[in-house]
Amino acid sequence: MSKTARAGDAAKGGVPFEEALKKLEGIVEAMEADDLPLETLLARYEEGARLVKICQEKLAEAEVKIQQLEKNAAGELKLKPFETDVEP
Amino acid sequence: MSKPVKSQWNFGELFPAEPTRKVLSVWELTADIKRLLEKSVGSVWVSGEITNLRAQSSGHVYFTLKDVAAQLGCVLFRGTAAAQRSLLADGQKVLLHGDVTVYEARGQYQLIVREVELQGVGALQIAFEKLKQKLAAEGLFAAERKRPLPKYPQRIGLMTSSTGAAIRDVLHVVQRRNPGLEIILAPCRVQGDGAAREIAEAIRTLNEFGIRNSEFGIDLILVTRGGGSLEDLWAFNEEAVARAIFESAIPVVSAVGHEIDFTIADFVADLRAATPSAAAEIITEGVFASREFVSEASELLRRAARRKVDREIENFDSVAGRLTRLHPRRQLNDSLQRLDDLQSGLLRGLKTAAHSRNLVFENLAGRFLRAKPALALKARREALHQLEKRLHLLGPEQVLARGYSITTDAATGRVLRVSAGLKPGQKVKTRLTDGEFSSRVEP
Repeated sequence: MSKTARAGDAAKGGVPFEEALKKLEGIVEAMEADDLPLETLLARYEEGARLVKICQEKLAEAEVKIQQLEKNAAGELKLKPFETDVEP
Repeated sequence: MSKPVKSQWNFGELFPAEPTRKVLSVWELTADIKRLLEKSVGSVWVSGEITNLRAQSSGHVYFTLKDVAAQLGCVLFRGTAAAQRSLLADGQKVLLHGDVTVYEARGQYQLIVREVELQGVGALQIAFEKLKQKLAAEGLFAAERKRPLPKYPQRIGLMTSSTGAAIRDVLHVVQRRNPGLEIILAPCRVQGDGAAREIAEAIRTLNEFGIRNSEFGIDLILVTRGGGSLEDLWAFNEEAVARAIFESAIPVVSAVGHEIDFTIADFVADLRAATPSAAAEIITEGVFASREFVSEASELLRRAARRKVDREIENFDSVAGRLTRLHPRRQLNDSLQRLDDLQSGLLRGLKTAAHSRNLVFENLAGRFLRAKPALALKARREALHQLEKRLHLLGPEQVLARGYSITTDAATGRVLRVSAGLKPGQKVKTRLTDGEFSSRVEP
């Protein structure tokens, strides 16, 4: 994923989906491999639950966000909402 | 009338001839015509249909180019590129570029063909092949150059017509699989004159936008349009589009037309998808595939934690059990229990022994009782009495009653039977039937 996109997400105050997902996969694997000492197990479990929540929020988006890119007379690039008749 | 002087060199009007008719030779006339044609017509492009195609053993190819009203003799010399020659076929409509000239020997004008182009779809196909070879040679299609697509794109550039099936299909698939995906649309015409330029421009604009705005990084660009004929899709076979895709810093997915359509844009792109829907599926695959994992992840975590805790409890119980067994109280209990066991054993043993002794005793007692003891006793008494009498008879009392006496040494108590050894003055004791008296031995 482009660094700029990731930076964008961070700017919006969240962990990028890809990062959260990779961490979550790592935690599940570690817990299933069963070589975690009991003390860290709980900490990992909590973090895993937190990451699940983050991923689910990102997946819960219901509507496609589409914007149209235009170059105006001055050569500036502008975004404007795109009217679409696509039914969800 | 004077005869004009014939010179070897006929300079025509340079030397004004006498006003008589001018007579040219065939050769001269033909040369005039040739010069005229070459000067005023010269090099042309002409279109028509090929007929009467024949190749001579010389290697030159002759044919007639005709249309409804006229025809033109053509020749393609052996030296002309084979690519041109291969396009010639009877009935083929062609565009020919060549020089009009006169073949003196036959007195015919003809076209010496330099270039051949096919008219219609065939022409497009040829152009396609040519450009494909050219760009391949430049390395635009190289596999090493193709960049991997991001697995979880957050924002994509979409380059397509703002109406039509392609954009509708793409939006439907994205809606279904990853509605969180942001789309930046750069609309453009996707067919017709000037479309290629618009497409190339749209790709460049998306690149520019992606670079300028750090919050709006574009992860990949999808270039797409719906199905159509070769002419409809032609814009995506143009060099301008190919170069714009090649120069794009952002990876490009190309999905032009139907499954069977392959355009040059498809070859240059980092990935080709068969249709717009297929492209959208590929792009959203990462997030879509992870949905299931995320929805299961909570349960997986729970289960893994549960398993681990259960195992720890098991371990703990096992260790605690061993510890308990090692406790001194436990050992004492064990010993006490052992003692009880031994006691019981002992008791049992005693009972058994007693029981068997009882049996023996009862056995004897029985035999004893059965042996009529009273009678036996009487008999024994009698026997005893008899023995007593005999003993009494043998005893000293009877002897003493008959007048004998027993003399013993007073000191030792020894019975004196013989006189030898007696010492005068020795004290002796004598026992008579009713008692005893002491005396001394007289010397």
